Amino acid sequence: MSDEVTLFHWEPNANSGKPMLALAEKGVPFESRYVDMLNFDQHKPDYLAINPQGTIPAMLHGGRVLTESTAIMEYVDAAFDGPALMPPDPKDRWRVRWWMKFMDQWLAPSFSMIGWSIFVGPAVRRRDPQELEAAIERIPLPERRTAWRKAIYNQFSEAELAESQRRVAIGIGLLEEALSKRAWLACDRYTLADVNGFNLAYALPLSQPHLSNEEKTPHILEWLRRIYERPATRQTWALGRTEMVKRVKILEREPQ
Amino acid sequence: MMGTSLFHGEPNGPSLTVLAACYEVGAEAEMIAIDLAAGERHAVPPRRREVEMSIEGEGPVLVVEGEPMADSVFLAQYLDEAHGGSLQPAEPYARWEMEMWCRFVIERVAPAASLLGARAHLTPKLQAMDDVAFEQLVAAIGSADLAERWRTIREGAFPEAQIEDSRGKIRLAVERLENRIDGDWILGDFTIADLETYAWLAGMVALVPEAFENAPRTRAWLDRMAGRESIRRAVAQSRTGDPLSAWAPGPEINRWG
Repeated sequence: MSDEVTLFHWEPNANSGKPMLALAEKGVPFESRYVDMLNFDQHKPDYLAINPQGTIPAMLHGGRVLTESTAIMEYVDAAFDGPALMPPDPKDRWRVRWWMKFMDQWLAPSFSMIGWSIFVGPAVRRRDPQELEAAIERIPLPERRTAWRKAIYNQFSEAELAESQRRVAIGIGLLEEALSKRAWLACDRYTLADVNGFNLAYALPLSQPHLSNEEKTPHILEWLRRIYERPATRQTWALGRTEMVKRVKILEREPQ
Repeated sequence: MMGTSLFHGEPNGPSLTVLAACYEVGAEAEMIAIDLAAGERHAVPPRRREVEMSIEGEGPVLVVEGEPMADSVFLAQYLDEAHGGSLQPAEPYARWEMEMWCRFVIERVAPAASLLGARAHLTPKLQAMDDVAFEQLVAAIGSADLAERWRTIREGAFPEAQIEDSRGKIRLAVERLENRIDGDWILGDFTIADLETYAWLAGMVALVPEAFENAPRTRAWLDRMAGRESIRRAVAQSRTGDPLSAWAPGPEINRWG
């Protein structure tokens, strides 16, 4: 059994960024294996041999494969020494879990539907149509196949995108409300809910400028800046290879 | 308000998980029965964003020292951790397996079961309501997408493909259960995974009988669960005498298809 950690991940963004940042916060060194999502690396035989579901990220530890970003983070927090990323109080722990589920299941899918329609779809649509169709057919999970097909061929309906935008607006309101009551998202200390939330929201002032800005969401901006200042965040975002993650630079504070 | 109160529906689905978790860990809670199928979650317990926006839909509300909390698996974890229970494995990998199993139930099984359960038992009730009373019920709901699920159930016009997809999810759940049960319980030791899985599947035996036909291990596990003291005490809280027919709108079907 090997105690070393190998993480298969894409950019420090959304699901891939969650275990990357959690490992960095815990001070756990890991072998980084970059999986190029826009090149469909996650549906190729080499990666499917690791994670047959074809989802990123996946982590190897102690001869075992772990999947699902939020569950991996909880494992990382429990399995390694280093600063605790789950609070000790049971009610605070409930709030961490509530926020992570709210983001993972309700808010993030709406964000990503918008992101896929304006970024992922156009980025891959330029390829050879036959190659694209073959790539879609290799996707193991039927719901992921549907999602990629919709993104690639721009099949999101107006109603679906409007519903996603409605949810994003409500989610931003809830985040701002929670962060105006507490220093961090779930309680008075930095937790996995903040790690999760940063990966979802770090580019918010750029992607939703009319909903998230200095006037409307001062607490969200201050929260993002405080997370961006953490050494673990700097270290993690430095692993990004595309232009996309450079958006994090908007969180630099203006020199006084 | 100090102390702990549980506003619960009939012992089925998420209310069954949390009632049984209380009895498993010996939590002292005031049990307050509400009719989730009449929208009472939006009228009786104290209100809070986290309850209004719960992904679970119409589930129980646990109020601890004045803070209303929602989501059955997380409430069971809270109860277990606050009372030093043993409903969760301590070893990190075993814990990850439990989390993954519960996520499968929450994300795949629960939306399917609540669609099938609501279609069979709640649609007729809501159709029998007059429009004014129904609109009053829906007007009290803070989450627009949950309100929409109430309307869809009242209309009762579920596409055939969606019904078949939901039945498929129940068959898949039983298939996975049949391969997974390890000794008496799903993951070896008794955990929250047993509570949450039983809570959503018990009512499916009558609605998707074919899923259970060639599943002897699952049927034996269902019997063991039904005989467990915490489940018996939870079921004894039923006011209707037929909790498996009690359904309220649950989590939504994944919007990505």
